[in-house]
Amino acid sequence: MLLVALVVPFALGERTDLVTLATNVLILSLLAISFDLCWGLSGIMSFGQALFFGVAGYVIALVGRDLEFSQLWAVLPLAMLVGLLLAGLFAAFLLLGRKPPTIIFVALGTLTGSYAAERLVSGWQYVGAGNGLSSIKLLQLGTYEFVEGMAFYFLALIVLVLVYLGARFLKQSQLGLVLAGMRQNEERLAFFGYRVQLFKALVFSLAGMVAGLGGALYSYHQGFIGPGNMGPGLSTTAVIYCLFGGSGTLIGPVLGTVAVEVLTYVLADIDAIKRIWPVVLGLVLLAVVMFQPKGFLGLLVSDRERIGSYGRRRPDGQDGGSGG
Amino acid sequence: MRRSVRCDVMSIEVKLAFDVLAFISVMVLIVLGLGIIASMMGIFNFAHGEFVLLGAYTVYLFESSGLSAWAGILAAPVVLALIGLVLERTVIRRFYAAPIIAMLGTYAIGLVIREIVRGLLGGHYKSISEPLPGVLTVFGVDFSVWRTVIVLTTAFIVAATWLFLARTSVGLQVRGSLENPNLARACGISTTTLYAFTFAFGAALAGLAGALIVPLYQLSADIGTRFLVQAFLSVMLGGVGTFEGPVLGAAAVGGMAAGLPWLVIPVLADPLVFVIALIIVKLRPQGFITQGRL
Repeated sequence: MLLVALVVPFALGERTDLVTLATNVLILSLLAISFDLCWGLSGIMSFGQALFFGVAGYVIALVGRDLEFSQLWAVLPLAMLVGLLLAGLFAAFLLLGRKPPTIIFVALGTLTGSYAAERLVSGWQYVGAGNGLSSIKLLQLGTYEFVEGMAFYFLALIVLVLVYLGARFLKQSQLGLVLAGMRQNEERLAFFGYRVQLFKALVFSLAGMVAGLGGALYSYHQGFIGPGNMGPGLSTTAVIYCLFGGSGTLIGPVLGTVAVEVLTYVLADIDAIKRIWPVVLGLVLLAVVMFQPKGFLGLLVSDRERIGSYGRRRPDGQDGGSGG
Repeated sequence: MRRSVRCDVMSIEVKLAFDVLAFISVMVLIVLGLGIIASMMGIFNFAHGEFVLLGAYTVYLFESSGLSAWAGILAAPVVLALIGLVLERTVIRRFYAAPIIAMLGTYAIGLVIREIVRGLLGGHYKSISEPLPGVLTVFGVDFSVWRTVIVLTTAFIVAATWLFLARTSVGLQVRGSLENPNLARACGISTTTLYAFTFAFGAALAGLAGALIVPLYQLSADIGTRFLVQAFLSVMLGGVGTFEGPVLGAAAVGGMAAGLPWLVIPVLADPLVFVIALIIVKLRPQGFITQGRL
């Protein structure tokens, strides 16, 4: 897969619009992975993952506008920090407390947060109100500026691979084992003395960090960030990506993002289908939810990858052939 | 001279109170169906906004084909009850055991409905005129007739629903199944039939709400989604599993949403409603009303 991803930009070559699309897909994959960390790994239904994505995007856009600063080594960690802190705050509010919250409360809480933020931003003149912020300062490394195209593609690819490997490490670590236990029987884990909600809050914050990173890249790449980038619309799109690909696999959401975005792009050219594409998307989502909880590509991704393996690998251990 | 100034201030206050009341009525009407479904089956119906949309669209279809809008308003609940029944039989019933899956599934249903209607409307906004235009002047204060109709209808629907649940034998079965579904089944009450019926009823209420509010807002594919988050919060705020809870919750959220813009700047008022409601739910997760009675 990594090979395919490496070859893609050269194969597309001349078609710069397709390279842009591919970069966009990589960035949105970050959002999908972020959602998978919440839902697939720790069983938090987050309908507000785009909130962290959007807020981080706005923050780096404002840093570019008001401080005229966009050095890669500083702004990307800043975006991660923003995502981490914001998600941490949310987690502290929604998850921690005397009584464990119901799963519905968390789901609706994240949805509400995302919706409220969208409404706030779309009425706030300082951040461009409904028009959002455009012509964002380009991402820089030293004096080099990342414009759309090959360089940005590889930057996004490197980030995605790092995030994927990090998330995978998290999943297969001892923490991942605790999370897997929590998914199976939260009460029993609580009886073992694990502070279940604290683990959830931790993973939720980390997921927010990944979303923040994605949001920053998105806003540099598009040169634009708007209220819609933090609302429930994008949040639920992330859910769709993840469920398409199969939640809990980390690679599934990436494949889901690729599938959905590429299909949307291809079908947008055909007028008859373009009109009904959202309907088809909804029907497919319904089918996935009803019949194939592992996701569409659950057929392709090995069970071992899905469930994860813990402790030492066997020396001959191939890991399902789906790295990167 | 002084007297008339004071009278003006009075009339502004009365008008404001009436506007808040009218918006509360809209919220209660929308939330009632959502709350009943959430209480009975424990699922939060993300397609509820689209049921509202379909109710509004029914009125539009009736009006544009030359029939009276009144016929559309009467037809909307019936159409939605049928749609709700079919959906429950085919799809929704699979979700009862898993509330999160239900959210995703109903979201998908909502997406499908919304996009179909968007396609049918061609992305345009359609305005529907009020079936009863004009104003009603009482003590020198003007009230919109249509908003008055909405307030009265809502009061009637709430009262009728309560009487139905509290005084009829079917209502008793509903309350029984809510309190203990297993025992209800053991007593020979068919909970599957009851669930289908409840879902259809909730959908019908959403349809009626959509039909009544469409003259106030322009008809677009997103007419229902703008209320959805507020409606969810209302149900959480009031307490799932009760009849009064969601109604009270809707009154609180509706009152805040309509009243806060007068107290703080509108940009902040909108998100503030959500923040306040979320904090209250966090502090009191069981809702206003705790008794498990519908």
